[in-house]
Amino acid sequence: MNSPFRVIGKSFARLDARGKVSGKAVYGTDFAMQGMLHGKLIQSPIASGEILSIDIERAMAMPGVYAVVTAKDIPAQRYGSFVKDMEVFASQRVNFVGQPVAAVVARTVEEAEEAVRAVDIKYKELPGVFTTEEAIQAGAPLVHPAWQEYKAVPTVKRDGNVTNYARLVLGDVEKALKESDRVFTHRFVTNVVHPGYTEPRAAIAHWDDSNQLVVWSNTQLPFEAQATLAEIFKLTPSQVRVNLTVIGGGFGGKLRLGVEHYAAAAALKAGRPVKFVSSCEEEMTSALPRQPLTIELTTGVTNDGKILAKEASILVDTGATSGSGVGVASSVMLMLAGPYKIPNLRLESRSVYTNKTPTGSFRAPAGPQGNFAVESQMDIIADALNIDPLELRLRNIVREGDLAPNGQKLESVSLETCLLKAADAIGWKDRKPARGRGKGIACAWWTTTSGSSGVYVKLGPDGRVFLNTGCAEIGTAALTGAAQVLAEALGVELADIQIVSGDTASTPFDFGAQGSRTAFAVGNACLDAVTKLQQRMKEIAAKQFSAKPEDIEITTGGVKHGDKTLSLREIAAVAQASQGGLIAHGTFIAPPTLHDKERTENMVITAINSPSFHAHAVDLSVDEETGEIKIHDYVVVQDVGRAINPKYIEGQIEGGVVQGIGQALSEEIVYENGIVRNPGLTDYKMPTAMDAPNIRSFLIESPSKVGPYGAKGVGEPPVIHPPATIANAIAAAVSARVQTLPITAEKIVRTLAEVSTKAT
Amino acid sequence: MKVEFLEPQSLQDAVAMAKAKGVGARFVAGGTDLVIQMRKTGVLPEAIINLQRLRALGEIKHDADGFSLGALVTHRQIESEDRFLGGLQALRESACVIGGHQVRNVATLGGNLCNASPAADMVPILLCFNADVTLVGSSGSRNIPLAAFIEGPRKTQRAHDEVMTDIRFPKPAGKFASAFLKGGRRRAMEISIVAMAGVVSMSAGGTMTDVRLAMGAAGPKAIRLAQAEKFLEGKVPSKAVLEEAGKLAAAAASPIDDVRASASFRRHLVGVYARRVIELGWNRISEAGNDRSAA
Ligand SMILES: Cc1cc2nc3c(=O)[nH]c(=O)nc-3n(C[C@H](O)[C@H](O)[C@H](O)COP(=O)(O)OP(=O)(O)OC[C@H]3O[C@@H](n4cnc5c(N)ncnc54)[C@H](O)[C@@H]3O)c2cc1C
Repeated sequence: MNSPFRVIGKSFARLDARGKVSGKAVYGTDFAMQGMLHGKLIQSPIASGEILSIDIERAMAMPGVYAVVTAKDIPAQRYGSFVKDMEVFASQRVNFVGQPVAAVVARTVEEAEEAVRAVDIKYKELPGVFTTEEAIQAGAPLVHPAWQEYKAVPTVKRDGNVTNYARLVLGDVEKALKESDRVFTHRFVTNVVHPGYTEPRAAIAHWDDSNQLVVWSNTQLPFEAQATLAEIFKLTPSQVRVNLTVIGGGFGGKLRLGVEHYAAAAALKAGRPVKFVSSCEEEMTSALPRQPLTIELTTGVTNDGKILAKEASILVDTGATSGSGVGVASSVMLMLAGPYKIPNLRLESRSVYTNKTPTGSFRAPAGPQGNFAVESQMDIIADALNIDPLELRLRNIVREGDLAPNGQKLESVSLETCLLKAADAIGWKDRKPARGRGKGIACAWWTTTSGSSGVYVKLGPDGRVFLNTGCAEIGTAALTGAAQVLAEALGVELADIQIVSGDTASTPFDFGAQGSRTAFAVGNACLDAVTKLQQRMKEIAAKQFSAKPEDIEITTGGVKHGDKTLSLREIAAVAQASQGGLIAHGTFIAPPTLHDKERTENMVITAINSPSFHAHAVDLSVDEETGEIKIHDYVVVQDVGRAINPKYIEGQIEGGVVQGIGQALSEEIVYENGIVRNPGLTDYKMPTAMDAPNIRSFLIESPSKVGPYGAKGVGEPPVIHPPATIANAIAAAVSARVQTLPITAEKIVRTLAEVSTKAT
Repeated sequence: MKVEFLEPQSLQDAVAMAKAKGVGARFVAGGTDLVIQMRKTGVLPEAIINLQRLRALGEIKHDADGFSLGALVTHRQIESEDRFLGGLQALRESACVIGGHQVRNVATLGGNLCNASPAADMVPILLCFNADVTLVGSSGSRNIPLAAFIEGPRKTQRAHDEVMTDIRFPKPAGKFASAFLKGGRRRAMEISIVAMAGVVSMSAGGTMTDVRLAMGAAGPKAIRLAQAEKFLEGKVPSKAVLEEAGKLAAAAASPIDDVRASASFRRHLVGVYARRVIELGWNRISEAGNDRSAA
């Protein structure tokens, strides 16, 4: 096919490939400074209690120890995204096992570890709550007895352990359920899963001679880190400078502060740069995993499969702090309506504290949990009505111009194409080809997170182009995507572009590498910069050619006027000689997504911006005796709007599917009375290369109005569908429906035993 | 805390060093169990005695009586050993599912046995082959059946100054086959929730004979399943016979409940895998027609 593009749509190698492959890239864990000390956290061994005393004397006398830092050493300041309920070190109460209470600073990691054992902390244990069901009971112990004193965004409606009660309401559900031929109610429970980035969270902090806090870290969001650190240490944001290292994966787990604040507090007290790196055990007990949800879902349908109403009651277990869980509790309702046209909705959600690990914003927050419930139930309904599951979906999905559950008008809706393509690729006609073998399908929509982006695009003296962005490259190659947009629009080769990123002092602001927005938003800011840059280039050329700027023509690699040309290099030379070089500040902010505010109550996330649509399908076998699953084929059809770099989109898809298979089949942080029973990678089971199936990706290009060259967000969606897709295929293969994640072999065998007991 | 790292050049030196340093010293081979334990407990040995220079312990040998594997033989060597095709293939099957490539490149057979984890994957098949282990210490050398050597979880008969030098087993006579199956959540990097090894021979009359079955990870140590073996002797593996053998195997299991699996699921898998291992072994004899393993 003849593409109108030179750079867009081509699978170029990522611009940071060489450093990563050669080992020269400096990751957060690699980074070192002269005179640097090492910090280690002291974590609470109990899930709920009061700190009675902290005795640091013995630890301070140990070899190599410089300082022991506690809550007393920093301003008593709570911080947080929606509710300010977090503190750096526990000051009076501890609320989960693993909560940092103090930190030791020493010359070596080993000396710090040794001294950690010498700090004597006495606690008084108090009753805790470990499930959301317990936590919302009247009279349940409060995880935060002082919750009323915490500041919060005005949207949230709090009460005790509940950090928000939100609703999405449309039409008359009661009436619609009465009029339905069949009403189905099911309960779905999802698992706590870790984002699984390869590099642990790492940071080095240092207070410079002007008492500015300087941090190097592998955060996804340097500007948020800057703002939060300023809040914690009572500084102005400009007194905090955050520099990015190369980042070994994030998946949302590095959006919020990781260890930067510990390093900053430790460096302040020790008077030397201090480095913190999370241990594997800390990652499993006190990082920011995905919220487990309990979803009760009721759907009313007609006998011919038309959905009339949906009702849901959702409990989001946010752990000991509310974090991003308040957002999850809102967005899960947009997911639960599904990409379906439903005239009556009454969805309600509560985000709830428990005495467990605080949770975060893992890739497509709320996506897999909501999708598992809604898409599992679609198949249950299809079976009960004796309608093919694909057909049931086709009868209810949204189409061009339909309204989403929040009332927003949907554009560029490609869902039918995605579903049909996925079904075709997996061989849907033969859905149950043999005993123990079955195929499953699931579909979803997802948002492209908004927020503003700025870039400086600078012309180097040799005509090379510098893309200076405040957005991090977290491993997705999304910044290479943005650079492709820049190269395409500016008329240069991708190889002419050099990315400079991650220093809050010298890069323009960016809302950051999150929410599938990087290539989308940074790419758009690049387009704006190109417009501005080209205007300046025309002005320079006009002067040189004694012509009018509007008569100068932009060419690939420069400008021309009649038969006179100037290359980028020549323009750069003129600009350097006459006007301090050439640099353009490009900016982007997505237009607001209009929706019906009447339908949403207390929701902190209310829209699906530039929605993308997708369908997954799988063909698998289940060993009925051992419960083992073998995936034969996995198909993803994803509408990406425009495939800026097909290879890296496939990379996102394959990685997302494997991550989703982990959530579906094997991964779970297991708690017992608030204690993690599997705090390491021996028993927290992410899929290995041996477990990753063959994955086939099909990219649909149904352009969005907002994205660069029509692109939509692509990074998060692939992780959404695997749990539902796999659950549906298992049910097709062996008529066992598992409604709790992960679907372990043991659960399959147990469910099959229950099914056969019922049958006899 | 400082740990002394010693590198003996000979077996005698290794033993002498261990004796001199006392119980605070530990041998290290691949280190894939020892280092993990050190990190996990935070307790460091006073001295680590590296056995890697004793290269003579890194060979696989055989003679008319059977095989001898040096304690330093790695799982990689076992999984790629041509002599372990045919009747002995369960050795390869056991070795090739241990950890991942990196682990198998350095982890040793001796370490697997001396560490005595109930889930050590090499133990069941070696129990089936009636393996003996040789220990050399300050008071001389001795041979002990593997079944007696491992006493329980992380407990063996080895004295602290004894080096395991090799593992020997006689080759079963006649037409035989072996098989190994492992249950776990993943296809690699997985501590077995149940491991099952079996060896079966075919009598002149076409029935099963000299049946050997051993299970791991379903009790405090890997054991032979004597009752199931006895029951299978002289029978053909019909569905009913296999079913019954599975039940006998499951009855012999004493699994624990833990985060990896419940006791009842482990017991269930013991039954399934016992049956499948015998069936697989039997099919292999029937398919091969003869024993292709080196002799
Ligand atoms: C990621 C990972 C995955 C793993 N997966 C598996 C698996 O799937 N199945 C499995 O069975 N195991 C597994 N293991 C455990 C381990 O790799 C094996 O048990 C391995 O065989 C141990 O051998 P080693 O040489 O590394 O032992 P080392 O750690 O060197 O030694 C283990 C113990 O034996 C002693 N020792 C070693 N050699 C001798 C000797 N010759 N004489 C006397 N004492 C000795 C040591 O002092 C120590 O106490 C895994 C380990 C890791 C880290």
